[in-house]
Amino acid sequence: MIATLMTENDWAAHNVRRKNLGAHVLGVTAFAGGRISIHWLMPSGQIAEENWDMDGVEFPSLTVELPEVAWDEREIHDMFGYRPKGHPDLRALVRNPRWPDGFYPLAGPNAPSKPQWIEVAPNNPAQTVEGEGVTIMKVGPTHAGIIESGHFVFSIIGENILHVDLHLFQNHRGVEGQLQGRPIGSVWPLISRICGADTVSHQTNLAMAVEEMAGYQIPEEIQWQRILVLESERILSHLNDLAQIPAGVGFSVANQRALAMKERWQRGLEVIFGHRLLFDTVQAGKPLDVDIEALGTLIVELQREWRPWRSLVQGHHGFQDRMEGVGVVRQSDALRLGGQGIVARASGLTFDARQQMPLYEGWPLDYASETSGDVSSRFKVRLDEVEASWRLMERVLQRSRIHGALPVWEPPSDLAGQAVTFSESPHGLNAHIVAVDRGQVIRYHVRSGPFRNWPLLAKAVAGNAVGDFPLINKSFELCYSCLDR
Amino acid sequence: MLWGVQGISVVVVIMMAPLVLGITQVVKARLQGRRGPSLWWGYWVLAKTWGKETTVPEYSSWIFRVAPSISLAAMILVAGTIPWAGRVPNSWPHDLLTLFFLLALERFWVGLAGLDSAGTFGGLGSSRITTLGAGIEPALFAAFGILWAVSGRTAITPVVGHLSLLPWGMATVSYGLVILAELGRLPIDNVDTHLELTMMHEATVLEYDGRLLAENQAAVAIKYTALLGLGWVWLSPSLASPLLTAVLHIVEIMGTAALVGGIESRFSKLRYFQVPTYLAMASGLGLLAFYLVMTGGFN
Repeated sequence: MIATLMTENDWAAHNVRRKNLGAHVLGVTAFAGGRISIHWLMPSGQIAEENWDMDGVEFPSLTVELPEVAWDEREIHDMFGYRPKGHPDLRALVRNPRWPDGFYPLAGPNAPSKPQWIEVAPNNPAQTVEGEGVTIMKVGPTHAGIIESGHFVFSIIGENILHVDLHLFQNHRGVEGQLQGRPIGSVWPLISRICGADTVSHQTNLAMAVEEMAGYQIPEEIQWQRILVLESERILSHLNDLAQIPAGVGFSVANQRALAMKERWQRGLEVIFGHRLLFDTVQAGKPLDVDIEALGTLIVELQREWRPWRSLVQGHHGFQDRMEGVGVVRQSDALRLGGQGIVARASGLTFDARQQMPLYEGWPLDYASETSGDVSSRFKVRLDEVEASWRLMERVLQRSRIHGALPVWEPPSDLAGQAVTFSESPHGLNAHIVAVDRGQVIRYHVRSGPFRNWPLLAKAVAGNAVGDFPLINKSFELCYSCLDR
Repeated sequence: MLWGVQGISVVVVIMMAPLVLGITQVVKARLQGRRGPSLWWGYWVLAKTWGKETTVPEYSSWIFRVAPSISLAAMILVAGTIPWAGRVPNSWPHDLLTLFFLLALERFWVGLAGLDSAGTFGGLGSSRITTLGAGIEPALFAAFGILWAVSGRTAITPVVGHLSLLPWGMATVSYGLVILAELGRLPIDNVDTHLELTMMHEATVLEYDGRLLAENQAAVAIKYTALLGLGWVWLSPSLASPLLTAVLHIVEIMGTAALVGGIESRFSKLRYFQVPTYLAMASGLGLLAFYLVMTGGFN
């Protein structure tokens, strides 16, 4: 490949132009050879690529022009040791203070897989507000309740939050390092377990990547099955998130009833797809073992409980009052920071990656959108999306009469190439950047929805009451483990 | 006779406190579609907590260690100030101001203890309960306004029979609203939450365990039982027999505990900044009832 001569100005201009055309960043991926690739999902559904080949260990930072890539660049800095020149905030993001100097987990074949940890007191500088009457309140990383690890440093004055600094990325799992060097055929169980809430989306991305590299087109019937399982996951995740929001204001009847619905849905899915959390369901080229009749019955049963629950929560004055005007995400912020999924759609943006996914082509979809950007909007978007997903599933079920056995395709063992795939997970745009050579993974970069929404949470929280933080947090309901690299 | 009934009633009220909390928990669970704990769950929790090792934060003083005992003692005395037999043998122990003082004493020590270990949530909780206290205390005075208007004294006596339905109803609602706030119940505070940032009373006792926590839990249970009963003592008619009156009140407490469970299932928590409005409403109702009785329009 002929390296194009790109200046720092070109690098910024090219990427900013993509953003201005309405494109979404799929991922900023570093490769051990010294290349930075930014993949953009264009509004047309095409994927565009911008590359920067490094001469040394520095690359020009885009954070000032495109604030949404701030965390991507910090992550590259921590994982590869490549330095984003001009980045305004290069504190450690993924890096653990116990990592020895010069240790970068993905730096190349010479990076030690198990370095000698150093013994230091945790010291992660936090951004705080200083002044008379300002208190610094640290919450986490361990929380009461079944919550993953996340450390929040609040600057509060009285009962008001001035600023919150997020220290996530608490558990380093070494996901991308684990994937490197494995045969692509064997990474499926790992990809399945990156995140408990968006697992089908991750599995679908992997399956699509393998099929794309091999140039295989799955039959229509398998496409239908994938839509069914993706929408089942969306409903499962939304039911859980909808249950958590009333819990944030002590509205326990709505909380418990929604949890019961979620459990019923989950038990049904276990029978139909073989796993409560839908792990290990979507595989490249393989049909799913779906009991169509049972799925239709399950939807009807759930809807019977859903309707009275929806009128309970929508008619509850105290609950609605707590949600309105709280935790507002402004549309301009959502746009600037690349907000995804429900968070963006509750702030007046209409982006839903299903519009660009070839899988959903030809299916009528109702896209939910609200404009006020508060907790109430995010709640409402979820309510509408659950119903929209059920409608879509019913349409698919009506049409998908499967006759006879479906073909089973085995991916070739000497697969090579690079694929960028994406899907709309319950928590937003989920992208995988996969490079394979002779059947072995040489780079696997995962960028899931919550990654771009976490910084928006910090923005939305500032200026709100301390007591409203759990409610706002629950209305985002972002995944911590998606950030545990 | 009267003293005997009073003495036995106080002991019964204290002993039944965990059961009364249990009733509320079970009703809440049933209304949420859960099976819920056993009715005797409260006793089991107290015994378990009491038997555990007691640890004390490194940077805490004697205040942290004595506060639970003071709260517990104050709440036992609160149970004693309420004339369970419906009559006042001698007004001095049954004085409203003594009761208010005991409640303020408890709030003061719980608030101090929350601050003492310098934990973030304790401070937040202390700040919240004392801020709330500044609104609850006047509201309590307002709710009990008709008592003074009717009897001219501050002794706790039944007011029914001395006034018409309207001021009585307003005072009852006023008392109900302010007592939910004083007890840290929904829609003001949520006793069941694990969300540290939203807690009020719970945040002040977050750092307790073992025997000290058990003392705090016992104090909360006794306060709950006594104040639910207090409403019946002064707002409902008493029977001819002191013993039957006391028995009736004890049954009524259990019924009210179930009612609170129902209220807590129906409501969500108010925004913290709206609590003053809620307390102002309680005070306003109480004052209006007081005004009606004083001007004699509705007597």
